[in-house]
Amino acid sequence: MENYNDKKLLTAVAMLNAKMLGFTLGILLGLTVFIATNWLILKGGHITPDGKYVVGPHLQLLSQFFIGYRVSFLGSIIGFAYGFIVGTIAGALIGWIYNRIVEIKDKLTA
Amino acid sequence: MQGSLRGHDDRRVVIIGGGPAGLTAAYELCKAGWKALVLEKDNTVGGLARTVNYKGYHFDIGGHRFFTKVKLIEELWHEILGEDLLRCRRLSRIYYNKRFFFYPFRTSNALFGLGILNSMLILLSYLKAQLFPEKPEETFEQWVSNRFGKRLYRIFFKTYTEKVWGIPCSEIRAEWAAQRIKGLSLLTAIKNTLFAHKKSRNADVIKTLIDSFYYPKLGPGMMWEKMAKRVEEMGGTVLLGADVQRIMLKDSRVSSVEVNLNGMIKTIGGTHFISSMPIRELIHKLEPPPPEEVTIAASNLKYRDFLTVVLIVNRKEVFPDNWIYIHDPEVKVGRVQNFKNWSPYMVPDQNKTCLGLEYFCFEGDSLWTMPDEELIRLGQKELEMLGLIDASEVEDGTVFRMPKAYPVYDSTYKESLSTIRRFLSSIENLQLVGRNGMHKYNNQDHSMLTAILAARNIMGANYDLWQVNEEKEYLEETVEGREQTDIKLLASTQPKVPTRITEKDKATIPDEIIVKAFAKLDKLAFAVALGMVASLFFCILNLILLIKGDKEAIRMFQLINQYFIGYSVTPEGVAIGTVHSFLWGFMWGWLFAYVRNLILAFLIYKARRRAESMSLKDLLDQI
Repeated sequence: MENYNDKKLLTAVAMLNAKMLGFTLGILLGLTVFIATNWLILKGGHITPDGKYVVGPHLQLLSQFFIGYRVSFLGSIIGFAYGFIVGTIAGALIGWIYNRIVEIKDKLTA
Repeated sequence: MQGSLRGHDDRRVVIIGGGPAGLTAAYELCKAGWKALVLEKDNTVGGLARTVNYKGYHFDIGGHRFFTKVKLIEELWHEILGEDLLRCRRLSRIYYNKRFFFYPFRTSNALFGLGILNSMLILLSYLKAQLFPEKPEETFEQWVSNRFGKRLYRIFFKTYTEKVWGIPCSEIRAEWAAQRIKGLSLLTAIKNTLFAHKKSRNADVIKTLIDSFYYPKLGPGMMWEKMAKRVEEMGGTVLLGADVQRIMLKDSRVSSVEVNLNGMIKTIGGTHFISSMPIRELIHKLEPPPPEEVTIAASNLKYRDFLTVVLIVNRKEVFPDNWIYIHDPEVKVGRVQNFKNWSPYMVPDQNKTCLGLEYFCFEGDSLWTMPDEELIRLGQKELEMLGLIDASEVEDGTVFRMPKAYPVYDSTYKESLSTIRRFLSSIENLQLVGRNGMHKYNNQDHSMLTAILAARNIMGANYDLWQVNEEKEYLEETVEGREQTDIKLLASTQPKVPTRITEKDKATIPDEIIVKAFAKLDKLAFAVALGMVASLFFCILNLILLIKGDKEAIRMFQLINQYFIGYSVTPEGVAIGTVHSFLWGFMWGWLFAYVRNLILAFLIYKARRRAESMSLKDLLDQI
């Protein structure tokens, strides 16, 4: 059943495209922030005992890291941009580290 | 049909054997203007694919379906037979315990036929075989049991295989069955699984190959009689009753053959020789004799012989199948042909049925030497035992014995054959073709293909005839194979020339892409990468929090210590949290890679099993 190509198929180890992984993760994270923010806006907030209208106080904590982010439609766009950047960096880093480790392992076993 | 020997042209090809291979070679040569002389030992053409006529009832020796994936051969059949080539619907079931079973199996049919309890036991035995297959797979018994379960093997494979080959299944090497799936490519299997919807046209073709076939109006012999006639019309000669006694060698060439032509010894010379006579006989007829090791090797080649008991039954319909496999161990008959269902023209009276009971034996054994009357009585008795007919319904019968019907692939044949091939390769102007000529389990179409290639070699080509039926593309069920069997692809044995990229090539997914898509993720590398990135981001976020010092944010973040024991938004706590996040990232990364690899491995396994089961669909036909 096994020929040369089949052997390759069974033994091949995937190398990741770091750029593509970064881009994909960036889009995913950006969209997650964008959707989560708008979801809370659509759901509506609540009035606190001191009379303030608050929407998504927990998500608002993101503003600690994402300067300019707020739970608002404009904030969701800013959040998308931040999410995209963070996701891209994280994905690219995962891909890069993974590929380096695979290469090192290959060299060691060669 | 008997013609005279024409002239003494410098270029004359002498062909030993007037079966499908010999006649096809002659036809191909004559079409190209060569002079070909066919020497046939018997008084009829067709060899193993002849049709016998008994009182107007035609019968075939073993049942020859006309189906092929080689376009060239199919065209040749149409060219010779024209309107006389009928399209025949295939129905061939297993007859066991007075019931008919479809093969490939159909659930409801098997369930009702075998009974619910038996079916449950078969299912359990199948599951057991899947979970705990017998390893190593050395015998045919183990090989089939591992794929179908022991119980199904005992009912549907053991008895029939042992009848055909006369060897216990536990003594047949697994290789013989495994060769059917040996050539299957995992990559191809995956492509077929993933892109099956795009292959519907091919799938239809394959289904067609299984469900129907071509058949000449008056049996396969009609094809060979017509071809012999065409050969003679084109200037070739077909000599019947021409028994080759000796093959004379001179200077590493065949110089002539000595033939007993209806009692007269004649010497016939030629420039090229093609032989389809059994390789064992060929070696023993060489003059001067070849080295002793070659003659010993030839003597080691064995054949399985075959006899047909033909019974004319006074009944319009006995069963609707073309043939049935007899799996009951109580009877010796292996297969029963119903010739009327191959072609209605095979019987002169449509109110009668002509059945061919096939017995597999060895030349000289008790079955082979049994007188015809006794064999006819045996046939009647067995058909009655099976519940197919009443013995009194048999009006007449005859017996036909066919020696050397199947080359036997025993433990020594490969070595013997390679010894013989080595010796014969030194004889420049001799080529071997056909089933017995090459001691190879070639079907009719493969035999014809070897003959065409041999003829083309004489005309200047350089094909390797031993490649035919050797490579994966000749497996009948592989989707890719069908395309590849075109004769042009046999140019793989020819010098390479540049070829243009076709539209089909563009549409084909390159193997590299499939290999990349199905490549495994390195679990450790992925786990480490995810762990490192998770811990890095966790550390950075916490440092930002520490620097900014927002109490509310810190309070909320601190909740993470429900999972990260020892974590707090302090320099020490952040260090602990970073280790935690690495471990969590590592764990999820490892798990993700593991699950992904598992899913892909399952897909590959499924594709492999699918391809295997496709190639086993007609396992019984190939036994």
